[in-house]
Amino acid sequence: MPIIDVHAHVGHWPFHLTSGDADANLRQMDRYGIDLQLVSASEAVVYDAVAGNAALYKALATRPRLLGYAVVNPNRIEESATDLRRCLDTGRFVGAKIHTTYPGRLPGSPEMAAAFDVVAEAGVPLLLHTWGTEVTLLPELVEARPGLRVILGHAGGDAWREAAHAAAACDRLYLEHCRTATDAGRIAYAREAGVPVERLLFGTDATLIDPCVSLGVIRDAHFTEDELERVLWRNAARLFGLGV
Amino acid sequence: MSGYAWLRPTAEEYVGWDVDVLYGPWPRHHRDTDLAEVRARLAGSPVAGALALSTRGPLFDDAGGNAETLRDLAGCPELRPVGTVDVRDALTAEARLDDLAAAGVRFLRLFTVDQGAEPDFPGYRRVVRLAVERGMVLLHDGDPRRFGPPLTGRGADVVFLDLHAYVLADFLLLARDEPGFRATTRMLSGPDSIERVVGSVGARHLVFGSRTPFMDISPQTLKLRYADISADDRAAIATRNVEELLA
Repeated sequence: MPIIDVHAHVGHWPFHLTSGDADANLRQMDRYGIDLQLVSASEAVVYDAVAGNAALYKALATRPRLLGYAVVNPNRIEESATDLRRCLDTGRFVGAKIHTTYPGRLPGSPEMAAAFDVVAEAGVPLLLHTWGTEVTLLPELVEARPGLRVILGHAGGDAWREAAHAAAACDRLYLEHCRTATDAGRIAYAREAGVPVERLLFGTDATLIDPCVSLGVIRDAHFTEDELERVLWRNAARLFGLGV
Repeated sequence: MSGYAWLRPTAEEYVGWDVDVLYGPWPRHHRDTDLAEVRARLAGSPVAGALALSTRGPLFDDAGGNAETLRDLAGCPELRPVGTVDVRDALTAEARLDDLAAAGVRFLRLFTVDQGAEPDFPGYRRVVRLAVERGMVLLHDGDPRRFGPPLTGRGADVVFLDLHAYVLADFLLLARDEPGFRATTRMLSGPDSIERVVGSVGARHLVFGSRTPFMDISPQTLKLRYADISADDRAAIATRNVEELLA
């Protein structure tokens, strides 16, 4: 049974840890049986979106098990819109990624609304860093943009209850639970709130976080065999149109 | 069932002592977990024993909570009681600590985050001084970058319960000079966070702490299993370091 990791990164992080290069991603994937990883460049997330996306393309070109997210910076929206199209045209990028901390923009801001418009027009899934109660705005923001599909990266972080209810309210919102602090019961809570298993995705935050952390969350969620297949790969394959 | 190797625990996930276990109501959480459920959760995991306390102590009544912990855990051979003192009422700390010492309690857990204490607060400093004078082991929440410096130079045994991988470098700087400083592996989530501690200051500076029932256990035991360290270092982190503190 394959595994698709929908939330990973390539490159350096400014912390005391060894995140390595794209080959480090592949070594970790081999260790844990992850077949395919959807990655954004840490450089693009933290520092320079366009330069980081370009560097990532070079890494993707020779590594078929990695597919890219083009990072969109809501503060450079015209530049990012052009860059997103350029990245998608390579065929090696399959989605967009927007962080909120580094650009300092949250859902609810005009800059983020414009960024959502850009991704909706591109027609690819958006992996959004979510870490706070602003997730409650997402159903309305997504409903207003036909075709936009958003993965709530980290499933809201500390606001995982609010994220669960947001996802239950909009069938184009998906939850992905990677996080260092693995609060117990998040997945069960989301399911009780009404999020179907078809909208739960597996992500790791590698190589910032070791994949075994998210695998442990999956183990403790006690999925059935069929549910496990959906969460670990079928849901992602369908969302991204991947022929796995 | 599927053939995923990580789906089933192995011997490398065995933990003799988990230093971070609580039971009882916690109003911010969506449900409460009583002692029976906590014991069941541990029994279904690779964790064999734990240092535990009732949430009554940190959230409502330290003396009453300590009494409850001692009473409840008397019938639980796999659990050892942890005491607490509310740093918001440090004038009563001496009596509380004497009560705990008389009951044979060796571990004192501090809840500075929930009790709103800063490292330079007089009440916090008094509790720490009295506890260290009595030779107690501090199970300490909060950011080690802020609470570590005032604890240095005292010969204190401290286990930091909230060390995050992002601030590991600061902890290692502290631990170089403080043989009694330890941290749990709970949030050492980087791909080589545990290895960096073992390689720089040694496995004696790490212990296992899951924060059951508020956190999943498997992510923590899997980190131990997959850490690129020796079996001896793994056993020290999972069991032996805490046994030495219990002795």
